[in-house]
Amino acid sequence: MDFALNEEQRILRSQILRFAQDKLNKDVRQRDRDQVFQRELWGACAQMGLTGLPVPQAYGGPGLDSLSTAIAIDALGYGCEDSGLVFSICAHLLACVVPIWKFGTEEQKNRYLPGLCDGTLIAANAMSEPESGSDAFAMQTRAEPHGDGFLINGTKTFVSNGPVADVAVVFAVTDRAKGYFGGITSFLVDRALPGYLVAQKFEKMGLRTSPIGELVFKDVFVSKDAVLGGVGGGSRLFAHSMDWERACLFASHVGTMERLLEKAVAYTRTRRQSGQAISKHQAVAHKIADMKMQVEAARLLVYKAAWGLERSQSVSLDAAVSKLFVSESLVRTTLDVVQVFGGYGFLSEFDVERAVRDAIGSKLYSGTSEIQRNIIAGWLGL
Amino acid sequence: MNTTQIRTMTRDFILKEFLPGERPENLTDSTELISGGILDSLATLKLVTYLEKSCGIEIAPDELVPENLNSIGHIADFVQSKQAST
Repeated sequence: MDFALNEEQRILRSQILRFAQDKLNKDVRQRDRDQVFQRELWGACAQMGLTGLPVPQAYGGPGLDSLSTAIAIDALGYGCEDSGLVFSICAHLLACVVPIWKFGTEEQKNRYLPGLCDGTLIAANAMSEPESGSDAFAMQTRAEPHGDGFLINGTKTFVSNGPVADVAVVFAVTDRAKGYFGGITSFLVDRALPGYLVAQKFEKMGLRTSPIGELVFKDVFVSKDAVLGGVGGGSRLFAHSMDWERACLFASHVGTMERLLEKAVAYTRTRRQSGQAISKHQAVAHKIADMKMQVEAARLLVYKAAWGLERSQSVSLDAAVSKLFVSESLVRTTLDVVQVFGGYGFLSEFDVERAVRDAIGSKLYSGTSEIQRNIIAGWLGL
Repeated sequence: MNTTQIRTMTRDFILKEFLPGERPENLTDSTELISGGILDSLATLKLVTYLEKSCGIEIAPDELVPENLNSIGHIADFVQSKQAST
């Protein structure tokens, strides 16, 4: 077992870090305030290969292995202070690009992957509905056979990238009698299709530069070529996407935690109270020691889950353990950083209050903490 | 691996993982696993992961359907056909 990055991974990390610090952090505070998603920044990330990391070169991606993908996303999270942009890239990459690459037909891969990798196309994953979140099979969106294809009707909510997406991976019930496995199908639905409506965009607490909203499908006709992963294959495809998302998206949070840790160390070594640097107060130093412990443990869990993505048939358990630990560590770390910064941490100009707002959602998306505990318990036979 | 071996290993796995304490004779080749409530979504994924690993097969998303998985008999036939095709 070797815990060191290899030469290629070190270079990858260093390049992405430098790119993110140089190109992605200008006006972050203002973009957050105004909820601005900048397509130019998306394009810059695409040029760096970030929108298609594991996709083979034949389809326009850099063709990284799954562990290197996580290392790249970790570096992006460290270097980029715009967590909304990082989140949007990960949602596009892990819940849309990866399933097309893994389960798409050759025609689908050739049609979508080059554009999704080079930044000309943005993708969204449309699973949640107003009446179904964690209980995904309660979904009401239906796809009924019609001519040589299907008619899709329904409303999807909490669609990350929904307001700006050019194509959506849409999950719909095709045969309710078959149940969760066999009864749900995923479709690649182009925004240009008649009946595809971009509905309300949500204002939210954090990740404000990542657009999220509702998509409404009113008699949207898709040909059978739009089926992704076969009729009835939607649930497995979704589970697979969640393995990638839980393993790799949360790598960005490891990078964020490391950046915040360094920021806390730098601040507490120079901020003086009672005649000495506040880092010399154990109450402060212990908080920072805990941050370090969480970063190190989180990184090991993330890298193990990501490493398993291409070595195991399912990393569901490892991904759930990693997702749960990282998200809860991230929230704790951001709150501790605010505490360490004291009153300044409460001010927008120090950026750590934004880190708290950005972190809270991590315990909700990709399956709540409670769902992750259910998954872990299930794998333990409980 | 013949169908008898696949049935045996599948039965042993289901009894151990999802029906602890159940009498083995109550789990027959035709007991309904999904529609009978023995396999929920997570249990189904767990079983599929086990079959893929133990039998050296890869199950496509659209093969994960009740027709292939709703009983030990269905599973054995399905796994054997997958092994034959690979």
